[in-house]
Amino acid sequence: MPATAAVSGFSAASFDAFLQSRNEPDWLIEQRRAAWKQFESLPMPNRGDEEWMRTDLRMFHLDRFQVPTASLATSDTAALPDALLTHGVDLAGSTVALDGRPVSAQLDSKWAQRGVLFGSLDALVSEHGDLIRKHLFRAMNPHFDKFAALHAACWTGSTVLYVPRGVVVDQPFHTLSALGARGVDLGHILVVIEEGAEATVLSETAGSNNEPAMHCGGIELLVGPGANLRYVNLQNWGHGVWHFAHQKGLVDRDGSLQWTIGALGARLAKVNQHVALIGAGAQTQVNGVMFTEGHQHLAYNTLQHHEAPHCKSDLLYKGGLQDQSRLVWRGMIKVDPIAQQTNGYQRNDNLMLSEEARADSIPGLEIQADDVRCTHGATTGRVDDEQIFYCQARGLTRKEAIRTVVTGFFQQVFDRITIDSVRDALGSAIGRRVREFS
Amino acid sequence: MSDFVRVASVAEIPDPGKELVEVEDRLVALFHVGGKFYAIDDVCTHDGGPLAEGELDGFTVACPRHGAKFDIRDGRALTMPATQPTVAHEVKVEGDEIFVRLKQ
Repeated sequence: MPATAAVSGFSAASFDAFLQSRNEPDWLIEQRRAAWKQFESLPMPNRGDEEWMRTDLRMFHLDRFQVPTASLATSDTAALPDALLTHGVDLAGSTVALDGRPVSAQLDSKWAQRGVLFGSLDALVSEHGDLIRKHLFRAMNPHFDKFAALHAACWTGSTVLYVPRGVVVDQPFHTLSALGARGVDLGHILVVIEEGAEATVLSETAGSNNEPAMHCGGIELLVGPGANLRYVNLQNWGHGVWHFAHQKGLVDRDGSLQWTIGALGARLAKVNQHVALIGAGAQTQVNGVMFTEGHQHLAYNTLQHHEAPHCKSDLLYKGGLQDQSRLVWRGMIKVDPIAQQTNGYQRNDNLMLSEEARADSIPGLEIQADDVRCTHGATTGRVDDEQIFYCQARGLTRKEAIRTVVTGFFQQVFDRITIDSVRDALGSAIGRRVREFS
Repeated sequence: MSDFVRVASVAEIPDPGKELVEVEDRLVALFHVGGKFYAIDDVCTHDGGPLAEGELDGFTVACPRHGAKFDIRDGRALTMPATQPTVAHEVKVEGDEIFVRLKQ
């Protein structure tokens, strides 16, 4: 274990030690301090809050984790788990972080020559301070709650991607964050796509075991006018990780954001996933693929915020649940008064593969314009026994039959994912997890 | 099969009285009634309310969220809105110490 024995937990002393260990510009230190003050002043969320009503946090002990300060030994990086999303893919660049510390960063020179910036945010923030300062925490609100504030104060092992005007990057970027036992990941991912530019980012997390660990992260996706971003984040931690995340996309005039969210791991996840459409003609398609088992509890609060007219948002979250696991989805489409001609859609479907699993599906609409189209739907159901019998009558075993039905269930959202390696990876990861049930 | 875990001392919990304890990975509501101890999951099967914060009346605890009542001896749901029993765990007392073994 890294040795900063004198300080532990998220205390003022450990935060000061953390700041000392960074070599960062003053503006950033100030930003961190302000966030820390907010973190100290806010209480832990309680179950009376609407956001936390269905998520029981009482077994989470923040004082059992600490800010990552010491550096990694080379022996630690030898055992990094495998990435799932990159099979057969030629990457434009990649970053890796372990237990909250950056491990490596690569960018193909042909993209660097065109002005693309990609790599460890920790390393690049000094050299490219002006650019980063303009965008960092522009989308995500560091005062939203205690976890957002902690993240804004202590982010490390982070990644930044900046694509200049008009540059079309036709190879994907990849980021991998891994956690070991008692590790803390505070990774921030900042993606800025300027006007008319295009990029694809594949971001994944991985855990090598089921020991307790913690993630308190943030993602900011800033899509400029007429720009196009495809972003995939796959949460594939071990089953001991407490995962708290604030993920925010901002899409400007005529821009487009395709955001795919996969979730397979974690003991408990509480994710705020928001997209704001801030310029006329902006659009977003959000695809969620979740599969839970054991006693996992994954909660998503999503928001599609129409702040400008003629925008389109389309969210589809699909979850498969086994054993005694639980999925909570609280979705909101918010339409501002000027957002006329909005076209908003949200849907959540859940497939229960056991009697004790539980899915909470709560769509919501808050509409303040009078010429809009907003639709929402939610379904929850068991696997149809007749369908299983039909498959078995044609020679499939019961397990194969269940797997077939589950694949069929997820097909609708897979069809929306335009990146082959991602579709294949998610499909096979879920296929492996499906068990027989009676 | 899990082991018995020490959760509290007899002196800590009045009679009648209750306490929330952590056993391995679970939150358990521990009750002291009529000289004996009982333990059930701290989860109301209706909507996940915290039973250990509910009102105790004889062998019945009422969930503070919507009032569902449970029997603390076996976890049976006694009234709506709960319809499923919550899990009851094994309790033993040795000297001054209370032990709980989780039932899966």
